[in-house]
Amino acid sequence: MRNTFNLLVITSTLLSAAPLLAHHSTAMFDEKQTVTMTGTIKEFQYTNPHSWLIVDVTAADGTVSTWGFEAEGPTTLMRSGIRKSTLPIGSKITVTANPMKDGRPAAAMIEATLGDGTKINPRLGLVPR
Amino acid sequence: MINTMTRIFHSSSALALLVLLTGYQTANAQLPAADADRLAMIELGKQHTTAEALYAYLKTQTNSGAALTYDTLPDWSGIYSVGFTAAGLPFDYTQGATDLPSAKLLPEYYEKMVARIEARNKGIEFDPLGKCEPPGAPRGISEPFLREYAVTPNQTWLMNEVAAENRRIYTDGREHLPAEDRFATFDGDSIGFWSNGALVIHTNQLREGMYQRGQPDYSAQIELVEIMRKTDDNTLVSQVWAYDPVTLTEAWYTVKTYNKLTDPEKLLRVHYWYCFDNQNNDVQEQDDGSTQFTDFEFDN
Repeated sequence: MRNTFNLLVITSTLLSAAPLLAHHSTAMFDEKQTVTMTGTIKEFQYTNPHSWLIVDVTAADGTVSTWGFEAEGPTTLMRSGIRKSTLPIGSKITVTANPMKDGRPAAAMIEATLGDGTKINPRLGLVPR
Repeated sequence: MINTMTRIFHSSSALALLVLLTGYQTANAQLPAADADRLAMIELGKQHTTAEALYAYLKTQTNSGAALTYDTLPDWSGIYSVGFTAAGLPFDYTQGATDLPSAKLLPEYYEKMVARIEARNKGIEFDPLGKCEPPGAPRGISEPFLREYAVTPNQTWLMNEVAAENRRIYTDGREHLPAEDRFATFDGDSIGFWSNGALVIHTNQLREGMYQRGQPDYSAQIELVEIMRKTDDNTLVSQVWAYDPVTLTEAWYTVKTYNKLTDPEKLLRVHYWYCFDNQNNDVQEQDDGSTQFTDFEFDN
């Protein structure tokens, strides 16, 4: 049922992007799958060790499901140019992510595009510079 | 006249001897270079059967170093981070993407490492860090994210964003606790000395742990020798020898390079890590040894 939501693209291609860097194993995410979905930001939990972007995704039939996208923690996000204020509540966003293998509505964020076309990549900050 | 000549001769001889000794001491007051040949450093590790022996050797080579004063502190200010290698975050920086770790392990620990890697490749893995257990030493030296250093004449603090860890290196001349009073901790007990801007560290009293995910285990008998120094304004290099008679047949050597991060707007801070600040970050080890999130607070 969760797969009926507003999934714009599901591919089995491997992305060239680095996997989520986490303090925990990331094996619960399917790194061979990506999902891309558009929704409205409900909350941006800017917390250590990981941030979570909570997005209300509206399906074609009008039903709304809340998804959580795990991303790096505040200091890596800061180095990626993503501040807490970058993702305000109520903003439109399209997120590409590796989904959970167990089908729960959560995923590891790879990249996102804001309503104004701004692209963000939470993993940019992992490279020392 | 003869007495005068004799005094001059004796004085000259004493001076020559002093120069000779001073020259000897100067020439001898050296540590291995930060970019020393890796194989030579592995050999240096093998020449000393314990971390204590290598540390004592380095101390001899530098004439016990020279105490820092507030006027001679090296500038280790700023925020640093370690880079990734082809293998991710291995202990040995030379490990290739598909290589096994280069540690010379005793059979029991080699088999355990291989089993860990095979399980990991199947998605079966649980990392105690997932519950915010500190990485400790030596694992912590390979962790990514932010680092800061506080150098004072009598102590140097190595601060790591991961799990808000802080290693204190005592350089005030104290020794380790007597053997009978030692107890294992995540970061152990570290003493050190300075020589020409380099901090030489000996650490014992460590807990057992693993070098990193996909890497071997180490025992509570592990001890470390580290040489840390700036090699230019933006680079801090650490040479590390790990000695562990329980798991290793010889010292395991590596070099870690920490790059100073640019932060022109001064936005970066080393924030506290607490896994349970956010329910969504809570993970649990499953019966099969894998990792799974608990209930999400946004799950509807």
